[in-house]
Amino acid sequence: MVKVFIYPATSLILSDMVTRFGHTPLGSAIAIRERVQTPGLESVPLQITPEEPKKGLRWAAVEVPSGVRGRMSLYGPMVEECDAAIIINNADLAFGCMGCARTNELLKFLLRQKDIPKLELEYPANEDEGVRFVAAIKKFLNDLGGKP
Amino acid sequence: MTAPVRIAQLSCGPDYSGVQQEINAAAKTVNGEIFFPDVALKDITRDFDAFGLEVRSPDLKLAISRAMALVDGRVEADAVFIATCFRCAEAAIVRNELRRYILEHSKLPVVSYSFTERTTAGTLLTRMEALTTIARRRALLAREVQEGITLGIDSGSSTTKAILMKDNKIIGTGWQPTTEVLKCAREVVDHALAEAGMKLEAVQAIGTTGYGRFLVGKDFNADLIQEELTVNSKGAVYLANKQHGPATVIDIGGMDNKAITVMDGIPGTFTMGGICAGASGRFLEMTAKRLGVDITELGPLAMKGMGSRVPMNSYCIVFGTQSLVNALAAGSTREDVAAAACHSVAEQVFEQQLQEVDIKEPVLMVGGTSLIEGLVHAMGELLKVKIVVPPHSQYIGAVGSALLASGFIKDGTDAGH
Amino acid sequence: MTEYTPTNAGTVTRYVVVESYNVTPADVAIRAYEIAKGVMIKENCFGLVVMGKEEDVDRVIAEVRKMDPAHIFVKDRGFPPGDARRCRATLGGARPGFHGIEFEMGILPYISHALEELDHRDAAAIAAPKSAQNAPRLDVYTLKKMIDTQEP
Repeated sequence: MVKVFIYPATSLILSDMVTRFGHTPLGSAIAIRERVQTPGLESVPLQITPEEPKKGLRWAAVEVPSGVRGRMSLYGPMVEECDAAIIINNADLAFGCMGCARTNELLKFLLRQKDIPKLELEYPANEDEGVRFVAAIKKFLNDLGGKP
Repeated sequence: MTAPVRIAQLSCGPDYSGVQQEINAAAKTVNGEIFFPDVALKDITRDFDAFGLEVRSPDLKLAISRAMALVDGRVEADAVFIATCFRCAEAAIVRNELRRYILEHSKLPVVSYSFTERTTAGTLLTRMEALTTIARRRALLAREVQEGITLGIDSGSSTTKAILMKDNKIIGTGWQPTTEVLKCAREVVDHALAEAGMKLEAVQAIGTTGYGRFLVGKDFNADLIQEELTVNSKGAVYLANKQHGPATVIDIGGMDNKAITVMDGIPGTFTMGGICAGASGRFLEMTAKRLGVDITELGPLAMKGMGSRVPMNSYCIVFGTQSLVNALAAGSTREDVAAAACHSVAEQVFEQQLQEVDIKEPVLMVGGTSLIEGLVHAMGELLKVKIVVPPHSQYIGAVGSALLASGFIKDGTDAGH
Repeated sequence: MTEYTPTNAGTVTRYVVVESYNVTPADVAIRAYEIAKGVMIKENCFGLVVMGKEEDVDRVIAEVRKMDPAHIFVKDRGFPPGDARRCRATLGGARPGFHGIEFEMGILPYISHALEELDHRDAAAIAAPKSAQNAPRLDVYTLKKMIDTQEP
């Protein structure tokens, strides 16, 4: 079982596929859960305090907007932790944690820089593409040693 | 307690910058309630295409759709707060275009703000207060004539001012630099009363504004405690006798600057800046000090100089002062340096703030800095308009407070204080 | 600033999304309640939200998935069910993430179809997806041929 970063990190489809084929998905919910379950100072709604954009300085410089750095504080540690990544490139309508295009560009770049198995694809638009899409993900995850 | 003002938030990034709760808190303080207009995915894609601004960030697409839902009346709100990350170019474009779009197509008051992770509820408070005032108290802001005997106190960051008015005329004034907030307020009030030969007991209603408004308001048992954005715009159009139609009010203050568009005496868009002191009245004070003149002499001095002969355009008061010292050391004349300082402040207000409001004539400059002739001249050159400085413009907040306070005179009581 | 004390430390929450002709979210909910044993289950418009200790949540999910494996999907959630911070009733509108799920819901039928296909086909034998970036563009020779065949 390996840790697979999913992009978009909020994806229901990727989260399901990774679990279904025997691995652990790393995505937004995991990072948010960690914050929501940790005592500290209250910061609604996501328990992301003004300290988080400062932690984000590890991945983006101070002239980068706070929202990018705050989001990077969610994703940065998971990018470092992951053993593989699946990226959907035309995820143009993933909001919230994936709502900032600049963060998304940086996030994809960091994943591509990392020397790990990666699969890049696009959302299917019909049944035939759907079969190819799922087959590619299944094969990729099987090759990582997941469930057949 | 009246129902809260429903403020629709259009934003990208505040929850990831850790400042959403600051926004909520600022709204709550002024009996406002933040909410997010409800749209469905099909609305987002349709509205985004219809709006025609091809941004990449999904949350900005969502903000566009939410704005269109407000303008189309699919979602009801009393006011709109637009907030995006400071230094994000994509978001800045959306923020400006949405503000313009909402103002052109609806009657909703809008305030926009670019935050950092350091933004606090305190910073947002004046803006939120102005927003809820415009949404809730249109009747109060409709007042055009001062009645009875009223007192207005403006406890500003640099100076404290008092104005006593009777039957639509100014009968007493008080002015002094702010040191101890309450002591200064009492002294300027005493001065205004003495000038009019009147006692505080005769005053029928009191209004306070400025940074110290809450403290001073409590001390004087004020009838109206109101932020300076709405009060100053009201005071400006009243003094300039431009209570009908459009106007733009520019107030370069000691700590922050306001640019407000007004229609029939009611503020529409406004910006309030104050991150960098290089664009503040304080910089002109420092310039006057360094040139060895009184602040009142800086304006006339600047009018004799040529600002373009001295390079000066720093956002920062420290670097700005450095340019000033360098220029003097290099042999520039005091007149040129004074003119350059005025131009530098005007240019930065022009670049940083006036781009966010649609300038409509008449352009009224108010506040203490409007008495600095050189500054008004520099601003007029930049905007290419003839700027109007109304009489008593340095007392703008106090006049606005006294004017609006007359709405609180109770029938049958001739003395409330 | 106010101190924050979490109310659900040590639990996990997962969404169960039902996109099926044969099973309704209500059917899945009934099955989940039967085997809940301390796991909190909340129904919503697209399925369930399940919260509890990780092993218990996974046990319930494994069981309900069996009802229609290719049509029931699961995703992690950061917040416990009904949390006011993410609730449409308190926010006025849906939290942004909801629209992302709304978008993927439209693609789920293709995924379900694929999962059923892959029950009897070998994933490794299926051609890789075409990428829009790699999709062949019209080459100039073909374009020229097309132009030449046009009537003047």
